[in-house]
Amino acid sequence: MSSRVCRTCGGSDIDVDQARGSAVCTSCGSVLEDNIIVSEVQFVEGSGGVSSAVGQFVSADGPIKAPLLGSGFHTSVGKESRAQTLQNGKRQIQQLGSQLQLNQHCLDTAFNFFKLVVSKHLTRGRKTEHVIAACLYLVCRTEGTPHMLLDLSDLLQVNVYILGKTFLLLARELCINAPAIDPCLYIPRFAHMLEFGAKTHEVSMTALRLVQRMKRDWMHTGRRPSGLCGAALLVAARMHKFRRSVKDVIGVVKVCQTTLRKRLTEFEDTPTSQLTIDEFMRVDLEQECDPPSFTAAQHKAKMQQLEQELAKKLDEVEGEISCYKDEIETELEKSRPKLRGIYAAYTKEVDPEDNGEVLSMPSEPEEVESEDVELQAATHHLTEDFLCQVIQEEEGRGMKGDRKAEPEKESMGPHRQAASLSSILGKLPSAASLSLQQTFQTSDTSESGEKDLGDHPQSEELDLEGIDDQEIDKYILNEKEVQVKTELWMKQNAEYLKEQKEKQERINKEKEEGTYKEKKKKKSKKRDQIEALTAGEAIERMLEKKKISSKINYDVLRDLNRGTGSPTRSPDHTPDTTAARKRLNRRRRRKTSDSNQDLAANTSIMGKRFRHLISSTPKKKKTAHQVESTVSVVTETETPAETESNPPPDSTAETSPTLLTAPSPVEEEEEEEEEAEEECVSALQLVGDYGCDADEEEIF
Amino acid sequence: MDSSNDEALDIIITNVVATFRTRCHLNLRTIALEGTNVIYKPEVGKVLMKLRKPMITASIWSSGKIICTGATSEDEAKLGARRLARCLQKLGFKVRFSAFKVVNVLAVCSMPFAVHLIDFTKNNRPIASYEPELHPAATYRIKNLKATIQVFSTGSLTVTGPNVQNVATAVEQVYPLLFECQKPLCK
Repeated sequence: MSSRVCRTCGGSDIDVDQARGSAVCTSCGSVLEDNIIVSEVQFVEGSGGVSSAVGQFVSADGPIKAPLLGSGFHTSVGKESRAQTLQNGKRQIQQLGSQLQLNQHCLDTAFNFFKLVVSKHLTRGRKTEHVIAACLYLVCRTEGTPHMLLDLSDLLQVNVYILGKTFLLLARELCINAPAIDPCLYIPRFAHMLEFGAKTHEVSMTALRLVQRMKRDWMHTGRRPSGLCGAALLVAARMHKFRRSVKDVIGVVKVCQTTLRKRLTEFEDTPTSQLTIDEFMRVDLEQECDPPSFTAAQHKAKMQQLEQELAKKLDEVEGEISCYKDEIETELEKSRPKLRGIYAAYTKEVDPEDNGEVLSMPSEPEEVESEDVELQAATHHLTEDFLCQVIQEEEGRGMKGDRKAEPEKESMGPHRQAASLSSILGKLPSAASLSLQQTFQTSDTSESGEKDLGDHPQSEELDLEGIDDQEIDKYILNEKEVQVKTELWMKQNAEYLKEQKEKQERINKEKEEGTYKEKKKKKSKKRDQIEALTAGEAIERMLEKKKISSKINYDVLRDLNRGTGSPTRSPDHTPDTTAARKRLNRRRRRKTSDSNQDLAANTSIMGKRFRHLISSTPKKKKTAHQVESTVSVVTETETPAETESNPPPDSTAETSPTLLTAPSPVEEEEEEEEEAEEECVSALQLVGDYGCDADEEEIF
Repeated sequence: MDSSNDEALDIIITNVVATFRTRCHLNLRTIALEGTNVIYKPEVGKVLMKLRKPMITASIWSSGKIICTGATSEDEAKLGARRLARCLQKLGFKVRFSAFKVVNVLAVCSMPFAVHLIDFTKNNRPIASYEPELHPAATYRIKNLKATIQVFSTGSLTVTGPNVQNVATAVEQVYPLLFECQKPLCK
């Protein structure tokens, strides 16, 4: 409050009364100001006796115009985008941070990072989730909490590397140097999770020592710290006589089995592993090892060297052997009776004939002078061959029977050509090397040409120096080949082309009609309403359409309903043996009396029973004797035409109906009250015949 | 220039990527049907053409832009690119060879000593970054050369840069830094 001069008298003695809010000149008494604006904080008592300050928060970097005060405005409308972003971010940080059990201080720091990020416009183009996760991880790293990036990615279900990318970027932009991860940080956390009880501290200490040893032995650079921790904890646990298997450890540490085993083997290779437990706790070896990947590479290099030496030796040995072979052959020839007279001529002719045959194969010019021509011939042949063969295959597949004669003849062709190709290919390397030399020479000359090109960047004409036109020609197929390839490509991509055509036609039609939309949404399939008179029919139809399981014989299921009405028809349907049929008829007759009314209930129970049957089929073989007998019945009926089987099925069939009578009042509640195994049994028997079918299907 | 080492380091260039333009529209279907060693990808809209003599793979787009990868030197890349343009010319397109530029060069190099990555990162923050959870190597980015060097704990490096000269300079620049944090190999 600057002391002002009174307007009336000019005196500077002004009394300001804060309580009344007035400024009065003491000399003349004129009131200079009424209702002075006071910058005091006022408190108001709210509900429950809580006193809160009166007023609104106006942010420093908020909008320049004053926020509108008024009772009609909702608070969210008044806030602008930046504040909203920050509020949203804060909320998400709180949520995620509480899941990680971070304390409030960390969360506040994370929010500060987030504010920095937002002010630097780094959130643009990135999901807020990722940015928040990166901020939280930054805090974890700077504070040294034992949280891994993997934990965050688990919570968010996001790929670790994506989060890592965001994290690295933020760290770079905010110039935050996060200290390197120390595997020692994670040990107490993992040890706690592995539940060592009272000895947790001791085990952690041992594991820490192990990790430090691993660090000295260069096992930790370039590796995930969690893997090392896992290995150290496993060994420490064993040292203190806790049995923690590899699976337990990997569940906690989140690495895979292979990694853990690898770390253990690497540790095994170090000299420290040879010490006993006591020695290890007391002594620290001076010698440091090389990083394991380096030793592996060296090992590989050694192996390669060894192999090379072996190969050399092999060559030498082979050389020796071939020497011996030659000597033997010459000896043999000498000892062979020589052909005289006319026959001598034949021996000479054989060799040039072979060569002549081989050379006459290529339809191209027979001169062997220019290797380039050979190269051309070879490539032409290869492509022709390949294309011909492929087309032949396709045609052959299409019309098998008719064209058998022709493919046979034509297959002879490729065989002969294959033989010639090998001879040509044998000469190819030399051709290749020659032409390579050519290009090298030309490239040397062309280098100077290129430098000129560099000086004149404007020229866009293609400099043909150093480009062998003939060679380029080989890269282009001639017309016949083009036709062949076109056919081939069209056949291969026929579906795609058809789709494209249809799409185009559709678009054109719609354009004419004027209903062309840019993007068409997929219409979901509308399920047809099933119309049926009875519930049983409805279920039938549904099952028909839906085809729930392959283990249900739907035919028999249908017969189930019809069979009760017409027992005479049933034998035609069942493909079982006579014994089974007898049982079937007997059971059917029993059923007609009871279950006409309970048809619907039956079918639903059938459905349930099938599910039980299917789920219990593995149990079936294990459970008790009750089931065994039925199983034996079932298995025996499967072996057809065994007369011995008839008496046992009859006897067991007699017992089985008795068992049937017990649960025959087919009421759902009773069934469900029974134990699972019994239900298995009764289901088997009731469905026994059908169970046979199901069984047969299963076993097949 | 060798910065206090007696033996020269072998920098082996493994890949050179170059782009150029043909300044004319190319019909990919024609190329696919009339060329050998081509793979047509209609979904993506490009044709892959592989040359044998400089072992090169080229991605050809219908706009006339071509990317050429797989060469082992800048000259080879240029030669391959010109060959490719010639081939397209023969197929009947009015090809002009323009805007040839080597975009990326990848080289590998091996130090005779192992490197302690954590020390290396500490000494060179924030240029170097090392995140063992994500990647086993420490990344060192040289801004003025626009080169990136990945340093592995065994002492091998992979260097990527816009041209061969930059790559060589980058290796020379980083060598003394690595030398400080070295760990002599036992065997």
